[in-house]
Amino acid sequence: MNDPRCHRYEKPRSRRDFLFNAGLGVGSMAFTDLLARDLRVPAAGTPKRDGIGSIAPRAKSVIFLFMEGGPSQMDLLDPKPLLQKLAGQRLPESFGKVITAMGEVGAPLLASKREWTRHAKTGQWFSDWIPHIGGCSEDIAVIRSCKSDGLNHSAGVCQMNTGSIIAGKPSLGSWVSYGIGSENRNLPDFVVMQDNQSSVVNGPRTWGSAFLPAVHQGVRIQGGTEPIPDLLTPDAVGPEMQRAKLDLIGELNRDYAGRFPDQSELSARLAGYEMAFRMQAEAPGVVDLNGETEATRKLYGLDDKTTETMGRLCLLSRRMVERGVRFVQIFHGAGSKWDAHAKIEDNHSKLCASMDKPVAGLLKDLKSRGLLDETLVVWGGEFGRTPMSEKGDGRDHNPTGFSMWMAGGGVKGGQTIGSTDELGLRAQETPLHVHDLHATILWLLGIDNMGLTYRYKGRPERPTQNEGEPYKKIVG
Amino acid sequence: MSLRPALILPLLAALPGLAADDLSEKALSILDRRCFECHSHSAGKNKGGLVMDAAQGLTVGGDSGTALVAGKPEESLFLQRILSTDEDEMMPPKGDRLTAEEVATIKSWVSAGAKWPASRAAKPVSGKYLPGRINDEDRSWWAYRPVVRTEVPAPALPSTGSNPVDRFIDQRLTKEGLTPAPEAARTALIRRVTFDVTGLPPTPEEVEAFVKDAAPGAYERLVDRLLASRGFAERNARVWLDLVRYADSDGFRADDYRPTAWRFRDYVIRSLHANKPYDRFLQEQVAGDELFPGDPDALTGTGFLHHWIYEYNLRDARGQWTTILNDVTDTVGDALLGAGMQCARCHDHKFDPILQRDYFALRAFFSNILPVEDRAAWTKEEAETHARKLAVWEKKTAAIREEIAKIEQPYRDKATTRSVGMFPEDIQAMINKPAAERAPVEAQLAALAWRQVDYEFARLDRVIKGENRTRLDDLRKQLATFDAEKPEEPPYVLAVREPARTASPVTIPKKDAAIEPAFLSVLSKTVPAAPAVIPPAPEGVESSGRRAAFARWLTQPENPFTARLAMNRLWQQYFRRGLTPYASDFGRLGEPPSHPELLDWLASEFVRLGWDVKAMHRLVLTSAAYRRSSDHPDPSAGRTKDPLNVLVWRFQPQRLEAEQIRDALFAACGDLDAKKQGGEGALFSEPVRSVYTRAIRNNRDPLMDVFDAPEWFNSSSSRPVTTTPIQSLLLLNSPFMLKRGETMARRLRAELPAGTPEQHVARAYALLHARAPSPKETARGAAFIRANTKAAPEKAAATAAFNPEKIPNRDGQAARLDMDHRTPLVAAGTEGLDFSKGFTVEAVIVPRSVSDSGALRVIVAKGSGSSKESYWQLGITGMRSRRAPMVLALQAFGTLKDGSFSEAVHFSGLRIEMNKPYFVSAAVRYATPGSAGEVTFAVKDLSNDDEPLLVDKVASGLVALPDNPHPVSLGGRASSSTSGFHGALDDVRISSGALGTGDLLFTSEDPSPRTMGFWRFENKVGVMSDSSGRGHLLSMGMPAANKPGKTEARSDSKPGAPLSPADRALAAFCHAMLNGSEFLYVE
Repeated sequence: MNDPRCHRYEKPRSRRDFLFNAGLGVGSMAFTDLLARDLRVPAAGTPKRDGIGSIAPRAKSVIFLFMEGGPSQMDLLDPKPLLQKLAGQRLPESFGKVITAMGEVGAPLLASKREWTRHAKTGQWFSDWIPHIGGCSEDIAVIRSCKSDGLNHSAGVCQMNTGSIIAGKPSLGSWVSYGIGSENRNLPDFVVMQDNQSSVVNGPRTWGSAFLPAVHQGVRIQGGTEPIPDLLTPDAVGPEMQRAKLDLIGELNRDYAGRFPDQSELSARLAGYEMAFRMQAEAPGVVDLNGETEATRKLYGLDDKTTETMGRLCLLSRRMVERGVRFVQIFHGAGSKWDAHAKIEDNHSKLCASMDKPVAGLLKDLKSRGLLDETLVVWGGEFGRTPMSEKGDGRDHNPTGFSMWMAGGGVKGGQTIGSTDELGLRAQETPLHVHDLHATILWLLGIDNMGLTYRYKGRPERPTQNEGEPYKKIVG
Repeated sequence: MSLRPALILPLLAALPGLAADDLSEKALSILDRRCFECHSHSAGKNKGGLVMDAAQGLTVGGDSGTALVAGKPEESLFLQRILSTDEDEMMPPKGDRLTAEEVATIKSWVSAGAKWPASRAAKPVSGKYLPGRINDEDRSWWAYRPVVRTEVPAPALPSTGSNPVDRFIDQRLTKEGLTPAPEAARTALIRRVTFDVTGLPPTPEEVEAFVKDAAPGAYERLVDRLLASRGFAERNARVWLDLVRYADSDGFRADDYRPTAWRFRDYVIRSLHANKPYDRFLQEQVAGDELFPGDPDALTGTGFLHHWIYEYNLRDARGQWTTILNDVTDTVGDALLGAGMQCARCHDHKFDPILQRDYFALRAFFSNILPVEDRAAWTKEEAETHARKLAVWEKKTAAIREEIAKIEQPYRDKATTRSVGMFPEDIQAMINKPAAERAPVEAQLAALAWRQVDYEFARLDRVIKGENRTRLDDLRKQLATFDAEKPEEPPYVLAVREPARTASPVTIPKKDAAIEPAFLSVLSKTVPAAPAVIPPAPEGVESSGRRAAFARWLTQPENPFTARLAMNRLWQQYFRRGLTPYASDFGRLGEPPSHPELLDWLASEFVRLGWDVKAMHRLVLTSAAYRRSSDHPDPSAGRTKDPLNVLVWRFQPQRLEAEQIRDALFAACGDLDAKKQGGEGALFSEPVRSVYTRAIRNNRDPLMDVFDAPEWFNSSSSRPVTTTPIQSLLLLNSPFMLKRGETMARRLRAELPAGTPEQHVARAYALLHARAPSPKETARGAAFIRANTKAAPEKAAATAAFNPEKIPNRDGQAARLDMDHRTPLVAAGTEGLDFSKGFTVEAVIVPRSVSDSGALRVIVAKGSGSSKESYWQLGITGMRSRRAPMVLALQAFGTLKDGSFSEAVHFSGLRIEMNKPYFVSAAVRYATPGSAGEVTFAVKDLSNDDEPLLVDKVASGLVALPDNPHPVSLGGRASSSTSGFHGALDDVRISSGALGTGDLLFTSEDPSPRTMGFWRFENKVGVMSDSSGRGHLLSMGMPAANKPGKTEARSDSKPGAPLSPADRALAAFCHAMLNGSEFLYVE
C-alpha cells in the first residue's frame, strides 16, 4: 500500500448509511448537504511528500486543454512575416536540415492565410481563428518557444503527458495527484474528458499512473448519466438488492480485516467501497448542468451546435475545479484531429470554431467567480506544425518550436514568452522544453519537480525525469 | 539569433598583483557563483558529467574529457567553454556571460597552477559525483562480492527441522527473540500453495483429499503434484513474461498485433514445464542463435531481445534504433543484472558504481542484433519437408504467381519510391545501397526502415484498381485452387540474428571513441573494465559472437548476479517480499539482504544442483517457514520488532495478482476452459487462463488495470497492491462481475439441484475459500438468500447469453460472437421496415475469421436467404470467394433493372483484415429509369487514425427490394446456422435512404430521423435495447416477445436460460462473496 489516503478509515456505519441514502436518490437536499460537508476538506492524513512545502503554491488546480494532433503556431499565435515573403520557396539552407514525419523534405513554405490582430494593451498577436481567446489576452501568457522530442503523435503525446517519449512513466496529472492529492474525496483527483469517441493516441495510458499506485491514474469522465464506468447501480440489480449486497460485502470484509488488524490494505478495501459510494453520490451531480444559468450556458457556447461539445467540457471543468478536483484534462480533437497534414484551412477553422469561444468562456467564467487566480489553465498540443507545406495545403509535425499558453494560477497575463526563428521552425529565445513546461506547472502548484520522488524498482523517479527547470518569470 | 549581446571576450593578460591564495579564493568564488549551480556536489548536479567543486572533478573532467590543465589556460576546456561564442558549446548556456574581469581572474588562476584555496575542501565530503572512480568500498557492496556458501546452522528451535531454509530463518528469529507461528491449517495451506504455485484455486475435492491424507509426507506429495502440473509453468511464466516485458502488440500509436509473439510465451511455459536448467534458459534468450544454431527453442528464446515497442511510421530511423537498443540494454540490466543500468545512460550512476561507459560497454554486446520475424522455429527435418512440399506448389503455381508479380510490380515500385523517399537522406542512401556494401549498422537501419516499405506492400490492394484489379482477383482465385497442396505456414517467431560477423561500433553520445563490449567495471580490476574476450561465433553463423560471450559470462557459476537474482525473486514470489526488497535492483538505494547467508546459500545450492529450478521451488515450499499460519497466537512481539514480517515469524496474507483473480473467477464458477494450453492469444473475454490472452499494450482490460497488472512497456519485477474506488465499482457493478455471480449460482444449482440455501452457502465457501463456513457464516449467507428471494429484481442482472467485449480504440462495450455461435441477434418489430427509399447499413466490427468457402460471414441481414423472396445481407467474403476473398460485400435478392427477380451481389474492393477494428458501411441507392443504381461501401480502420475512410462505389442493378416477412438480424442470418459473423460487433445502425459519407456514424453520431434501428450493446441502456428509440429490442435467435413474467420455480442451469428469483438471490450472494477480501487474498 503506497497510498496513505487509502488507509483512511472512517466509522462506516452511520456515515455509510447516510451516503447510501443519498446515493439512492433520497433527494437533492441530501446531495447539497453532502457536498457542503465534503467540499474543501483538506486531505487529512496525506503525508507531506518530499518536494512539497518548500515552494508556495500559487495554483490549486489545473485545467489542461490538450489540442490533440498539434495546432499550427504560425496560424494562431506566432505570426511570421518572413514566411509570407518566402511562401512557395524552399526552406532556406541557413535553416539547416529537418527530419519531418511525412518526409516531404523539399516541400515549399506555406504562407499563413490568417488575419492577425494585435491586442492593444498587451501587444500579443492572435489570429482570426481565435478571436475570443484573443479577447482574454490580458490573462494569457503566450509561450512561443516550446520544444519537445517526439516527432510522431505517439511519442509527442506521450511526452507532453508523461515527460518521456517512451511509454512507462506516470502522467503529469498522476504525479500531481500523488504529490498533493485532492481537496475532494468524493471525486477522483485527476479527471480526463474528451470531445469525441475516438481514442486519444496511445489510449488510456496517456493518463495512466504507470508505476505510481493506480489510485493516481486519471479517471475518464464520459457524458450521459453514468459519467464513470460502473458508477451506478445497474437497473437489473435494483436498490434493495444492491443495499443488501453491500451490507453483506461490508460484513464479509470487516470480518476478514478484523483478523489482520495490522494489514492496512484490508481496511483500505473497505475504504475503497466507501469512496465508491461517495463518488456514486457526487459524480452525477457534477455532470448535471441543469443548475447553470442561461447566461453561463451562452458564455460557453452551449446554445450553438458548433461550440456545444467543447462548451460542455469546459463548463464541466469549471464545476470540477470548483469542487476541488486537482487536475482536469480535456482532449480536444481527440484522435489527432488537429493533425492537419493536408487542408489546414478546413481542418483548423473547424476545430478553432468549436474551441475558441468555449475556452474563452471558461477563462471569463473562472475570472468572474474568482477562481482564475487559483486555477491554472494550460492550452496546447503535443507539438506545432512546420512552416513548410505538406500535400500543398497542409503542414507537417514540428516539435522543435511551437506555441502554448497558460493563464491563471499565478501566471502574469499579457506577456509573450520566448520566440521562434523567423519562419517559426525552431524555438529560439527562452526555449522551454516539455520538461521545463511541466516543471513550471508543478512549480505553480507548489511542487518541486526535483524534490518529488517515488521509489520504483529501488530507484528514485521524478516527474520530469531529472530534467527541467521551472520558468519562474511566468509569474511576472 | 540570440538577443544576448554576444560578448567577444579577448584573452586578457593575467591580472598582476594578487597573492596566490587570494587569487584562488576569488576564482573559486566566481566558479561557485556562475558554474556550481549545474556542476557541483553542493547542487547535486554534474551536468555533462562534470563537477567543479572538487579539484579532482576538474582535472578528471566530464564527458568531454579533462576540464582543467594547471598552468595551461588554452588546454583547459572549462575556460575555453566560458570563452566560446558557439551556442552549442558556450558556458553558461543561459543567462549573462562572465564579465571580462571574471574571465581574467580565472585565467590567471589557471596560469598560476590552479591552486585549490585553503578555505575549500579539495575533495567534498561526498565523493559520489566524482566521475569515473570506483573504489574498494564500492567493490565491497554485497551484490558485487562473490557468492559465499556458509555452513547450514544447527537447529535453533526444538521445532526446527532439517530444511536448510528453516535453519537460517529460525536462527535469526531466535536471535531477535521471536517465536514463529505454528503450521497453518491444512485448508489454508492447500489454498495458499495451490494459488502460489499454479495461480489457480484448489478444487473442493483436492482440498478434501489433502485434509484427509493422514499419511506422512502428505504436504510434500501435494507440492510435488503441483510442481509437476502444467499450472506451475503457466503461473511462473507470468513472472518471467513480466520481467522480459512480453506483449502481443507494438505499443505505439498503431499498436499493431504481433501475430507470432505468442510462440515466445509458449516457449517460456514449455521450458518451465520441462524444468529446463536456468542457465540454458538464459543462454537461449540472450544468444540462442549463436550458441545453439538450428535449435527451434533457442531461436524462439531470442524473442527476449525483440519485445520492445515499435512505431510503424517513425521516419527518424536512427532515433528509433537508439531507443530500441536502449530498451534492450535497460531490460538486460533490470532482468539479468539487477542493476539500474538506465541511470548510467546519461551519466555515471549517482549512487552505484556503474559508469556511463559501462552502459555502452553493455550495449555493445547487443548492438549488432537484427530483429527478424521471418525465421521459423522448427527442426531441420521439418524445414526440409516443408521445402519439398513448397517446391512442388511453387512449380505448379509459378506461372500464376509470375503474372501476379508482374501486375503488382509497378505498384510495388511506386510504394517503394514513396516510402523510402520519406526518410532522411542518409537513411535513403543506406536503403539504396546494394546489401553487400552496407556496413553492419547500415544494414540494421535499412532493415528497420524497410519495415515501412513492407507495410505499404501489405496494403497494395487498395491502390490496384480497374482491369488490373479484376485480373488480380482472378489470378488469386486460381492460385487458391492449389491451397490444398501448399504446405502450412512455417512457425515464424520474433527473433534476432546479426547482419555480419563484425559488429557495429558503439560510441557514447557526443564522444567519438568506440566502446568495446565489457562487463561491469566494478567487477573488474581495472577502471574502466578491459574489453571482454569474444570467441568467434561457430562456423556458418553470421554473427559477432558477442551475445554468446555475454551469455556464458552470465551463467558461469561465479557470476555474482544470476543465481542471487533468481533466488531473491523466488523468495519474493512465496514470501511477498524478497530477502532484499528490490527484485531488479541490488544497488545501494535498496537494502542489503535481511538474511545474506541464506540468500548466498540458496544461490550456491541452485548452481550446485545444475540450475534446477523446480528443486529450488520445492526446497522453499516445503520449508516450515512457508507453511506458517498467518494467524500468530501472540503477534505482539512480532508486530513491534518486525512489523513488515521480514523475518517470517508468520505468513503474510497477500492479495492475489490480477491474472490469478481473473482465473479464479472462472475456475470458481466452473467455466474455466482448461483445454487452451497454448497457441495464439485468446480474447480477454474468453474464459481461458489469463496467460493465454493477448497482451495488447494500449488496450488493457479494466480488470487488469484495477488489480495492478504491469503495462509491459519495460521490465517489471513486482506487483504493487493498490485499492481504488474504481476497483470497488468494477467489482460491484460491472456486467462482467454480475455475470460471474450468475454463472456461479448456476453451478451451485446444477451441483445441488434441490439444495437448501445452507447447502449452497457451504458449497460456495468450499469453492471460494477452500473451507467450510462457520455456523454464523452459514446462517448469514442462508438468511441473505432467503430474504432476498423476494427482493430479487424481475430480470437477471446480466443477459446470460450476451458476451460483452471491448473494442480497441473505442469506448463502450460490444457483442462478442464466437466462431460457433449459431443464433444471430434478432431485432423485434423490424419485419416491416421501409427499405423503399434505399438504405444504409453501418457497423463497427472486429472480424476474427472468414469462412474457408466463399460464403459471406454476415454482419447484418434481412430475409431468409431463400431465392423465392427478397433478402439482403452485408458481410465479409470467405477465402474462396468467386470474386475476391475477405472483402466487404452486399448480397441481395430483389427486383433488377431488367425486371427480373434475381440475385445482385456487390463486391467492394475494400479488403478487411482479421483482428482489426473497423467501421464498415454500405449505402444502397436503387437504380431508376433515369439513373444507375449504386452501392457505396466505406471502411475505416479504427486502429490507426492516419488511415483515411476508404470508399468504394459499385454499380447496382437493384431497383427495389420487396418486403419480406423476416426481421433484421445482426451477426448472422436467422435461417442459417453457417453464416454467423465471428468477432466483435458494435454500433449497428440501419437508416432509410443512402447516407452520404458526411452523415455516416463514423463522423456524426447525432440521432437522425432517418435512423430505423440502432444497436449499441451498452450496459447503461441495456445491452439488447434499440438506441434509435424505435423499440426494436434484440433477442438471441428469436424475436423478443412481451410475454407476461411467469415465474419459474427453478431455473435452468444452462447459460441463457432465465434464473428463478431464488437463484437470482443466490447469484447476488455469490457476487458478494466474489467481492470479498477472503476470495481475493491468500493467507
